[in-house]
Amino acid sequence: MIARVSYILRSLVFVVFALILCSIVFQIAGYSASLVLTNVADGAFLRPGALAQSLRWALPLFITAVGVGISFRAGFFNIGAQGQFYVGSICAAFVPEWLSGAPAYIVIPACMLAGMAGGAFWAFWPGYLRIRSGTDEVITTLMGNFMAGLLLVYVTSGPLKDPSGSGQQASSRPLEAAYRISTSSGLSVTIIAIAVVVGLAMWLLVNRTTFGMLASLAGRNPVMVRWQGALLWKLGITSFLLSGALAGLAGAIELMGPNGRIASGFLPAHGFTAILIALVANFSVAGTAITALFFGGLASAALYLPVMAGLPSAAIDVINAAIALFITARSKLLDKILRVGGRSS
Amino acid sequence: MNDIIIAILRSGTPLVYVTLAGVIAQRAGIWNLGLEGLMIIGACATILGIVVTGSVTLALLIAMLFAVLASILLWFVVEKLKANPIIAGLGLTGLGLGGTALAIQSFFGSQSAVNAPFGLPRLGPAFGAYGVLSILVVLMPVVVFALWFVLCRTRFGLQLSACGQHPFAARSVGVNPSTMRLIALSIGGVLAALGGAELAAGSLQFFGQNMTAGRGFMAFAAVIFGAAHPLGATLAAMFFSVLSAIGIRAQLVFGDSVPHDLIQALPYLATVFGLWLSSRLRGGTAGGITELRDD
Repeated sequence: MIARVSYILRSLVFVVFALILCSIVFQIAGYSASLVLTNVADGAFLRPGALAQSLRWALPLFITAVGVGISFRAGFFNIGAQGQFYVGSICAAFVPEWLSGAPAYIVIPACMLAGMAGGAFWAFWPGYLRIRSGTDEVITTLMGNFMAGLLLVYVTSGPLKDPSGSGQQASSRPLEAAYRISTSSGLSVTIIAIAVVVGLAMWLLVNRTTFGMLASLAGRNPVMVRWQGALLWKLGITSFLLSGALAGLAGAIELMGPNGRIASGFLPAHGFTAILIALVANFSVAGTAITALFFGGLASAALYLPVMAGLPSAAIDVINAAIALFITARSKLLDKILRVGGRSS
Repeated sequence: MNDIIIAILRSGTPLVYVTLAGVIAQRAGIWNLGLEGLMIIGACATILGIVVTGSVTLALLIAMLFAVLASILLWFVVEKLKANPIIAGLGLTGLGLGGTALAIQSFFGSQSAVNAPFGLPRLGPAFGAYGVLSILVVLMPVVVFALWFVLCRTRFGLQLSACGQHPFAARSVGVNPSTMRLIALSIGGVLAALGGAELAAGSLQFFGQNMTAGRGFMAFAAVIFGAAHPLGATLAAMFFSVLSAIGIRAQLVFGDSVPHDLIQALPYLATVFGLWLSSRLRGGTAGGITELRDD
């Protein structure tokens, strides 16, 4: 409990650091920091109807972030959530093409399964290389992000191209209304239900199963886990596959839900934001839900700023980036000041 | 033939400068994923500097100043606050991309692009077709050689590598890894700013939001592919530029019948393959995961 309080306190201190850094960047770029920050708060939470919009962004982010948390917990630095999200959405987008005309109760689950399979595949090969050959997963998953981004460009301007679409951004044909699980506003009972099911299942997996316990142990002390007789490679591959599958599921949800199609370079910050959420929440499932709502708020404020306040949406990128700079900081000095360090490491 | 070589040099030079920035950081023991951010800060500050001061020299100095300040911020967060360099580096990239987008919109009111009246000095008509190349292209081999000499043939370079490979050994002979990393990242900031300047003002004369378009990450890939050796990484960066020139060429000649987007993915694939090969040669972990990250 004390360790948890200390973690939250420390996070708060670094959030303050991040806000100061943001304010400096805003001032250098020529904006009033207080004006930007109050408008961000307005757009994210305070304005009427803002919470519903924040929730729309929070739910897919939550699903991806829970997955990221699982692989981080097991000690694998899978930073390829963006690529897994893209490949998941690509695989999901092929399903309605092939099953066109089939009833929705077949297409929608098939779409989600395809998304999960695609995402899991895009996490599988870095995981396999890591475990078989010790190839660093940070680089392979990072490279995987760029390959997936280019694959998305290829698919949306080739096999799945929308011939009626014009303009700079290539995109796939819009999904038939029957196969959508929400309107473009993005919030529906189906999506909330999926997120709740994922959240509960992952909470049980992490906190109430042997796999969850061993995976968290493996992240801190792999040697110990091996002495316990557990198979590290099994734990590793499973956590890679789970994190990929969840990112892919989020991709399928964005396809069938708010977006209704996939487009080259859509939601470019999804994976990075999900990693931030997992880190801020310290990989706990319940914490991820709360943190996802916060970052979902920022994502919805990114749409609100240019329209309602005349401020560029890049302000949100700056806030996210500043949080990323500080969130993993583990200052010894700070521990001393807070005087509540639980375990000494 | 000339135009192909010119195209490769033009697209390769910014990449080489940024790659060198990555090499020196990598050698000092910091994975610099902030290269993309440093590069775009360099590009933006160069164009804004030219517009505001009207002098290329001043503009380059401003670009270096901002990139070095950003590098010092990364150093402070990683070394003093013990943050994870990968997440912090990605944060720096986000800060650069977002901050420059904010800056051009606040100065010029449009988010699209800013044009400068002139760019970096060119070689001039005396060099025939090659006269369109900027002086930074000519300077590039000199910088590569200088960095190779410093990193591989001097005491300082050896100490720097020691800080990356075995900080404890470095400390035991009185070398402070933290200070060495500060120096390495600062030099890297200068180099990345030059890369950004060449990108924005070398053959073009404008800055556009997000104009680096992943080049910083490709430079990072070149660092890894080139095993953090200045010459190897430079070759890797030039190889990646050749690949992308082939991709563009294929698109022009064959149109959409060749999946040119997939050709662009080759550098990333090559990096994964190279990394896999090197980890195989080192023996891998043979089914276990005992390797612990240094923190």
